[in-house]
Amino acid sequence: MTAAKTAQLTAIQQSGWGQPFRLFQPQNLAFWVYAAGVGAGALAVLRYFGPGADFYRPALTGGVLLFGLYLLPWLLLLRRQNRYTAQPGGLLAAAFCWGGVAATFWIALPANSALLEIWAKAGGTQFAADWGAGLAAPINEEIGKALGLVLLIGLAPRLVRGAYDGFVIGAFIGLGFQVFEDVLYVYNGAAQSFGVDQIGSSLQIFVVRGATGIVSHALFSAIFCAGLMWVLSRVPGERDVPRGLFTMLAAMVFHFAWDDMGAIGLLPVVVLPFLIAAVELCALFYVMRHAARQERVWIRDLLAPEAETGVVDPALLSAVSGLRRERKAFRKLVRNRRRARHLVEAAGDLARELALAGGHETVRVAYARAELLRLRGA
Amino acid sequence: MYSLRFGVPEPAGCGQVTGVTIEQPQWVAVEHRFLGLDRRTFRPALIAFAIAVVLAYGLPALNAAIPWHNEIKAGDVLDLGDGATAVPPVGWQLENGTLTGAAPASLQIDLATGGATIALRGASFTSTADAFLDQVLRSQGSPGVNAARGTVTTAGGLVGVAQSSSAPGGDVLQVAFKMSGRVALLVRVRTAPGQFERYQDTVGALLRSITPGAGR
Repeated sequence: MTAAKTAQLTAIQQSGWGQPFRLFQPQNLAFWVYAAGVGAGALAVLRYFGPGADFYRPALTGGVLLFGLYLLPWLLLLRRQNRYTAQPGGLLAAAFCWGGVAATFWIALPANSALLEIWAKAGGTQFAADWGAGLAAPINEEIGKALGLVLLIGLAPRLVRGAYDGFVIGAFIGLGFQVFEDVLYVYNGAAQSFGVDQIGSSLQIFVVRGATGIVSHALFSAIFCAGLMWVLSRVPGERDVPRGLFTMLAAMVFHFAWDDMGAIGLLPVVVLPFLIAAVELCALFYVMRHAARQERVWIRDLLAPEAETGVVDPALLSAVSGLRRERKAFRKLVRNRRRARHLVEAAGDLARELALAGGHETVRVAYARAELLRLRGA
Repeated sequence: MYSLRFGVPEPAGCGQVTGVTIEQPQWVAVEHRFLGLDRRTFRPALIAFAIAVVLAYGLPALNAAIPWHNEIKAGDVLDLGDGATAVPPVGWQLENGTLTGAAPASLQIDLATGGATIALRGASFTSTADAFLDQVLRSQGSPGVNAARGTVTTAGGLVGVAQSSSAPGGDVLQVAFKMSGRVALLVRVRTAPGQFERYQDTVGALLRSITPGAGR
């Protein structure tokens, strides 16, 4: 066996890519805790919306429709980030569901109400109004969302191993939380105005929450869960507890800054949101780049035998295992944006088929290779 | 492979033999079995469950155990926004909302004492106080037996519409005011069954103290 083939098999074994995900595992206690959390969350949804569902139907319908549509570009964006040794759709759907139902309604709703009141008792109502949200939500919500990741580690230990897994899964948990919380805000907005102009108030909340949602829960959770996976990582050499704890803390600080922007008041209200958003996005890309390091190595190792035989050339290998910069350089080299994208995608297909086949030669591997060669010859 | 940190086993449903993934039935080896469950999955599941229980039930329990110490003192005035104010009853606990001198984020004030609560809620509304009370009642459904509507006039000349109702859970008095601009105010008083008389003077004093604010 060549060194490249050994590296390929090691990458497949370590990454767990190609392993199936099964949510229903009655022998696994993590499954029962997951089911209890989502079940309790669903019950809380019914209790919360049930009594007023009829009167506030216009607001609820508007909220569900608007934020349902809002979800689509997010899913497309996150699908693009689910690259390298991509996570299966079922696992990401389970993450989304935990974030939306269990983390929001089972954990965050009662925990936030209680902690806000505790802050009001401790520091007075003005203190709670100024700082309560920022001192409650980052603790309860970030931890509540991350519990979904811990359960998914228990449910799919071979699939959820490294920081990039945490980054992608965290983003889906956060997206679920964000969208369900947005619908909750629409309902609360209509209830606070006693049902006056429900469509207008749901549109208003959609615009505000939709715009601020760009740097909200999906971002916080992606960073927090990447940090958690640096603490818990089971990839050889990737565990870095100080970095993980610092990253988790950073996500909580971002959440705090966003929630208590008005009380911080260091800069004019017009400037501060943009400044915080810029810092958060820089941190997001920094974390993503570092979390992806091991994944990129795995992709290179996975395709190493193909590179040896010339099926994948060095520039394409660099692009398929690289970051945006490498893909951009490859586009320039190919001088055809569309063709470059097709080549990178076809090389990714070959890597996936090799992982699914455990590094063995199968009909699908041969077909993926033939497709790549066809495109390269085009 | 077995992780010492988390005790998470490789999945029971599949395994690898010399690089080939093979499907196996979900099978837990006897030495790892406890009541049909895989003991190696206990650690992540129990850690997640324990933290979730602390957040979802522990914090509310802790909150319930901590008493309020935010008593209204003589001279305190509630800020209802846009220059409108109200004088809260001395000795009641201010559980939500702000006194004058601070900038209120929204008009949501909660006052409580032994067997009664007073909630003041502001909402955007352009029509009359009577229409606002209609809207509020529609949003609440039918809480109990409603009495006839009456008029409340504050010391500042603000006219409100009041309606009381009784239900097995207690007595409720709701008073709607049309404030300055596009804002309407609802004052909702809840007491334990048969206790309203006890708080009537206190509630009356609060209602009379409401000022309409700027632009009116």
